[in-house]
Amino acid sequence: MPSSQPLPPKENTLFKRILKCYEQKQYKNSLKFAKAILTNPKYCDHGETLAMKGLTMNCMGRKEEAYDYVRRGLRNDLQSHVCWHVYGLLQRSDRKYDEAIKCYRNALKWDKDNIQILRDLSLLQIQMRDLEGYRETRFQLLQLRPAQRVSWIGYAMSHHLSKEYDMALRVLEEFRKTQTPKPYDYEHSELLLYQNEVMRESGMFNEALNHLETYERQICDKLAANEIKGALCLRLGKMKEAELIYRDLIARNPENHENYRRLEEALGLSNDDARYNMYKQFRSIYPRAEAPRRLPLNFTFGDTFCQLIDEYLRRALHKGVPPLFVNIKSIYKDKEKIPAIEKIVLSYLESLEKYCTFSPADAEKPDYDKEPPTAYLWTLFYLAQHYDYLRETTKALKYINIALDHTPTLIELFVAKGRIYKHAGDIKESVACLDEAQSQDTADRYINSKCAKYMLRANLVKEAEEMCAKFTREGVSSMDNLNEMQCMWFQIECAKSYQRMHNYGEALKKCHEIDRHFSEIIEDQFDFHTYCMRKMTLRAYVGLLRLEDVIRYHPYYFKAAKIAIEVYIDIHDHPPTDSDKTEEIDTENLTPKELKKLRSKQRRAARKAEEKKKEEEKAESRHQNKNKHDTEMDGPKEEELVPEKLAKVDKPLEQAIYFLKPLQEFTSHLVDTHLLAFDIYYRKDKLLLMLQSIKRIWNIDSNNSRLHFCVCRFVKAVEDKKDIADAVSSVIKQELKKLIGDQDMKTFNEEFIARNPNSLEHIIAGAQGKYVYSNSDSVIDLITQLGDNLEDRNLQNCTEVLNLLCDFFKCESAAEEYQRKCHELFPFAAQFAAPQEEDDHPEESKITTKQANSIPS
Amino acid sequence: MATPSDGDVEQKQAVSSSKAKKHDSGAADLEKVTDYHEEMEIVSQDMTDAMSHLGDKIKKEKAARAQREQELAKVKVRKEDVDLVVNEMEIPKFKAERILKEHNGDLVATLTALTD
Repeated sequence: MPSSQPLPPKENTLFKRILKCYEQKQYKNSLKFAKAILTNPKYCDHGETLAMKGLTMNCMGRKEEAYDYVRRGLRNDLQSHVCWHVYGLLQRSDRKYDEAIKCYRNALKWDKDNIQILRDLSLLQIQMRDLEGYRETRFQLLQLRPAQRVSWIGYAMSHHLSKEYDMALRVLEEFRKTQTPKPYDYEHSELLLYQNEVMRESGMFNEALNHLETYERQICDKLAANEIKGALCLRLGKMKEAELIYRDLIARNPENHENYRRLEEALGLSNDDARYNMYKQFRSIYPRAEAPRRLPLNFTFGDTFCQLIDEYLRRALHKGVPPLFVNIKSIYKDKEKIPAIEKIVLSYLESLEKYCTFSPADAEKPDYDKEPPTAYLWTLFYLAQHYDYLRETTKALKYINIALDHTPTLIELFVAKGRIYKHAGDIKESVACLDEAQSQDTADRYINSKCAKYMLRANLVKEAEEMCAKFTREGVSSMDNLNEMQCMWFQIECAKSYQRMHNYGEALKKCHEIDRHFSEIIEDQFDFHTYCMRKMTLRAYVGLLRLEDVIRYHPYYFKAAKIAIEVYIDIHDHPPTDSDKTEEIDTENLTPKELKKLRSKQRRAARKAEEKKKEEEKAESRHQNKNKHDTEMDGPKEEELVPEKLAKVDKPLEQAIYFLKPLQEFTSHLVDTHLLAFDIYYRKDKLLLMLQSIKRIWNIDSNNSRLHFCVCRFVKAVEDKKDIADAVSSVIKQELKKLIGDQDMKTFNEEFIARNPNSLEHIIAGAQGKYVYSNSDSVIDLITQLGDNLEDRNLQNCTEVLNLLCDFFKCESAAEEYQRKCHELFPFAAQFAAPQEEDDHPEESKITTKQANSIPS
Repeated sequence: MATPSDGDVEQKQAVSSSKAKKHDSGAADLEKVTDYHEEMEIVSQDMTDAMSHLGDKIKKEKAARAQREQELAKVKVRKEDVDLVVNEMEIPKFKAERILKEHNGDLVATLTALTD
């Protein structure tokens, strides 16, 4: 289509030069030629030139002018597809995909068969998951370029993704017919497997199996083909075939647990004896394989189990398998097996001490072999972990200390010791252990990271950062480098640490950084839309698209969002008044000498921070210089996260909702999601949204302890609120009736407590509920009970009770009493330690008492 | 001498190729290497049938959707009800309106459904 503003030959040549220069990134020259056209008064309004000038400026980082010129260009030539395309490119570079799609559509109005614009449009459509639009665009592309295989694949996939399996399969089949595979043609093989995947998704299992058998020879990924075939045979009830396939797969890899399970299914083994026999056979066929020895431990009991676990343990302890305990930890879920294991391992220890064999009987054999000294060591190591699992800290420490005396250079022992202390609640001591461990092998990044993590648990952020710096890039602060590397475990622990220290700004910064990682991961898929189609990695591509759809389902996102929501709620409850206030309170209790020390420390810190900032700025400018030409590829510059600003947010609850929304979308199966939602809407006084959270928890777990307290608060909020709209109030009445029946709240609460007498979690919720309604002293007696009948009398729950006594029930005397009692139960836990014991660290004591209450177990 | 329309074609190509580079220059190179240029017979009879079949299906779906929209458009909802739903459930107005319409303007039923 001819332009509405045609240029005469001379200017047209100049315009072509603009394009050429732009393409070659000679932006300055490009601007020079644009100027040459625009200074001619006759063409100073030439739209396409103005638009190109703007696009060029965008690449030079002059965003505002860029938008100005492109818009002016467009206004002057609304019928030019070039102007619209340029505007779309500009929007896309700012990741405003919706806007960009509109621009491309306009561009296509003036030039409907422009392949490049259509391709660009299809990329944006799939990125935004506009499946209907994508299908239409891919159809146009197929009609325009039927000779390209990408056109066919793209069109088929557009149908597959919108679940039009029939059409997708027809297109794929038509396309396949035109192909003549070369020998070992991997791309063709992927095409076949993709075709097969679509068949299975549409439920055509018979056809899929036939398809697989027909093209077996052309498929290069033999493992995938066999696994699919096995699953199909099982599904279609062809057990004989399935059996053969799974026997083959086990021969290929005798350690894959899944294959054994499928084989059991194919053989139709219903009773445990038959299953056991199957594994026995495999043990003799593959004597070196671990899986056939490990798997029967899950389903055998009594004498058979004892015999099997005895063999298993001896083998591992003799050989020295460090993760032995981890390997069989899942068996501990079965409470009856624990004493059996304990008895066996203790007997090993006794015998090893006396005879250097696993049992006295072995020593009586005529020419017996002594076990190596490491067997004794690993046995001790195992026992320490065993008792740690049972939270018998004293015994666990006893064995780990004997082991350390035996071999003080085994790093695993220090890690285990640190873990014992961590579980017992003494995080300081556990940091010391891990620090010792990492100092013995500073080249081991695993230990290094573990140590940093423990430091963060002890709120030692700076130390953790320095620890990580041993492995991060030199010349950059390790905090920044870890952010750049999207090292989320570190950032989450960091955020938790700041949260415990009530440093909300820094905590939020970390949470937002993690949120941005997830946005970036979604952004990153853009490149794969073109790449995967071209490379025919279609199965992986569809997998990627489906992963990206639910990426915030990831536990890391959940953790970060939870911290962020809790922090925002805290900010809402305690709005920041004066930033110096907290500091003043602290300084009040200090002697003048300490005060002086503190002040000089602060000054030093401030100076240091300034220097660091300068350095960073320098580094930043250097960085920018280097990347000057690539700025457009990085997308829009994101707003810098400033902790101080984040902590002083205007509407913290709205921010909390920003983090809540993805949780509600992707992790609605988790009780915690709705607990967080309730906490937000409770503060916003939105009755129906509270009700929504309650109903959702109810559907997951109707006897959830925390749900109970939500219901109590909700009913109270309804009672307290005046002028509720009629419709709202009738919805509440009608739904509450389903939840609590006709009882009044007092009976509802009493019944709840009576129903769960052995669960501390439920007692806590019941006491809180009672407090809301009757405010009586009896709640203190209720909540401070520590009888042996309680099934969940653990560090975490007791810590929560202590926190509640201080913050919720506000009963200091009871808190002190409770702390004393808990100290007897958990002698190592810092949060229950009597205050005087901490006096040997006067400088830190202030912080530790404050933080200790919120240290995780 | 280039005519305006010639220039136009060139522009198109230039803009497009520059765009490809912009996003991922690697992908652009790849295009050259792996693009397939074997001529192929498009649309066999089978495909034409499938397409027309699918076209019918999509048309039917669209018609059903349009009919549903028409029905919904007929339902009258009160402005106060919409505002109440927006305020209580914190959802956008158009959504509130639609859900109310889907429940025939019944406010209690709408709110109950929204608390699920």
